[in-house]
Amino acid sequence: MLEASNISYAHRKFSILENIDVSVNNGELLVIVGPNGAGKSTLLSLLANEMDKHKDPIFFKKKTFKEWDNKELAHSKAKFSQSNSHDIPLSVKDVVMMGRYPYFSSIPHKTDEEAAQKAMAETDVMHLTTREYNSLSGGEKQRVHLARVLAQLDNDIDKKLVFLDEPLNNLDVLHQHRILNTIKTFTQRGNTAVMVLHDLNLAAQFADRVMLLKKGKIVAHDVPGKVFTREIISSVYNFPCTICPNPVNQNPLIIFGT
Amino acid sequence: MQNKLPLYLVISLLLLVTLAVVSLYMGVYVFEKHSFYEIFTGLINHDGSIDPADEFVLMQLRLPRIVMAILIGSALSVSGTCLQGMFRNPLATPDLIGITAGASLLAAVTIVLGSYIRPYIPEFLQYSLLSVMAFVGSLITMVMVYRISTQNGRTNVVMMLLTGVAITALGFAVMGLLIYFSKDDQLRDLTFWNLGSLAGATWTKNAILAVVITMSYYFLINKGKALNAMMLGEKDAQHLGIKVERIKKQIVILTALMVGTAVAFAGTIGFVGLIVPYILRLVFKSNYHIILPLSAVFGGILLLLADTISRTVAPPSEIPVGVLTAFMGSPIFIIILIRSRNTM
Repeated sequence: MLEASNISYAHRKFSILENIDVSVNNGELLVIVGPNGAGKSTLLSLLANEMDKHKDPIFFKKKTFKEWDNKELAHSKAKFSQSNSHDIPLSVKDVVMMGRYPYFSSIPHKTDEEAAQKAMAETDVMHLTTREYNSLSGGEKQRVHLARVLAQLDNDIDKKLVFLDEPLNNLDVLHQHRILNTIKTFTQRGNTAVMVLHDLNLAAQFADRVMLLKKGKIVAHDVPGKVFTREIISSVYNFPCTICPNPVNQNPLIIFGT
Repeated sequence: MQNKLPLYLVISLLLLVTLAVVSLYMGVYVFEKHSFYEIFTGLINHDGSIDPADEFVLMQLRLPRIVMAILIGSALSVSGTCLQGMFRNPLATPDLIGITAGASLLAAVTIVLGSYIRPYIPEFLQYSLLSVMAFVGSLITMVMVYRISTQNGRTNVVMMLLTGVAITALGFAVMGLLIYFSKDDQLRDLTFWNLGSLAGATWTKNAILAVVITMSYYFLINKGKALNAMMLGEKDAQHLGIKVERIKKQIVILTALMVGTAVAFAGTIGFVGLIVPYILRLVFKSNYHIILPLSAVFGGILLLLADTISRTVAPPSEIPVGVLTAFMGSPIFIIILIRSRNTM
């Protein structure tokens, strides 16, 4: 699905990522975690083809991004960014409809309208449809962009790929879980998601595999149960923690400060 | 709202045509025949029913001037809208960020130095040379402003405006020097041209303008969706399959070309690229898919209106149209400044 080997990235001679190998399978929800400055967002950005400075190509469905047609790629791959623009003087619906830009040339088709509606319902922004985007709160804006990303990948193509950079920032508990469930359903249909998260417990609950980064290197890359161990987590985060099975779903439950 | 774009376009085009016909009748010189139909058929049939003086005023003075007002107004307004999309700021207009000044700078030099070679080259080449030089001037300025003010796809608005101020200052200095050295007849030309005027309209200039504009619009006018997506940020626009780098290059080169040609033929007519998108935004928000094509029509309407006023308000002389547009534009400039006070 997505394969990259030996990724390194440096900004002004300061190394951010070193020799990272990633391979993500179909239907996998990979969560990237790590302390601040570990290079999580940079890695996501590189994998999503936002920078073309690095030498080693990244293969998506056995093709490098350069070999893809721009529009076709936009039908199969989308990204939710962390730093969303705060000044977009348009209505919420106009912003969500941008996700359908790869599908229509001038006037949105009926399928585009439907996809936008469906995505807005999914992220619970339906009631904001006609509101001015700039008048929304941070969390609402976030959900509008999530709806835009979902609308972009609403099509019949198999094995789509979505990147999400801290999609849960500013969201309340209800919406955090709603979004994660949406993404989980997306991957269960044979699609793939790569996501940066800060909340380790949510990562443990939803991820198929977890990649733990520290200072630009992979510390662990495995199923949640093997990554979230007391030794690894407390040393990487440099903070004591206890890990016990979650009494409800048996996932690892990380309790910091103990 | 997107589905209604053709309707808005048709209505605004009708408005433009009506205004053009009205403007044809406005002016110091009054035609013998008053009905549009009579004049029109007279001209088509060429049966001598139209007085030669009438025909001259109509075909060689008023009509070319009206056409030029529409073309230049449209070009300036579309340039403004595209630049605002690229810089993601409603203050990015050719005049405020110094593009116009850069174009005038080289054009003025060409006018003064070119007067020595003018008798030896044909009219078409003269104007082409002038527009090419103005194009080079605006292109250099544009690249400079963009490089200085934008890093990683984010524009520092203060830097953008200040770079414009610096280049405009340089333009003033060169202009002052040229005025100091120029002879009396050149002086009048330079001053009038510096304030902006459509009095020098000819069919040759209009033909060149039409070619430039047709070419530019072919690439630019359908970029509304792309400019909308670029409001998300350049990287996010790329994820939507938009070729951001290529579109930016097209905008830089083609707006430089349009502004350069407009400046070469009509001098510095300011604020058109600020006023038109501003008014359209009040109605349609910042939806470039709608305001980009509409700005092409409303730019023509605005400049035609301003020019008609400029040549009829104080007969028998006329006030430079650049003065009029500046009177309209500066309050809007201030309004936008006040509104964006918190974000700068």
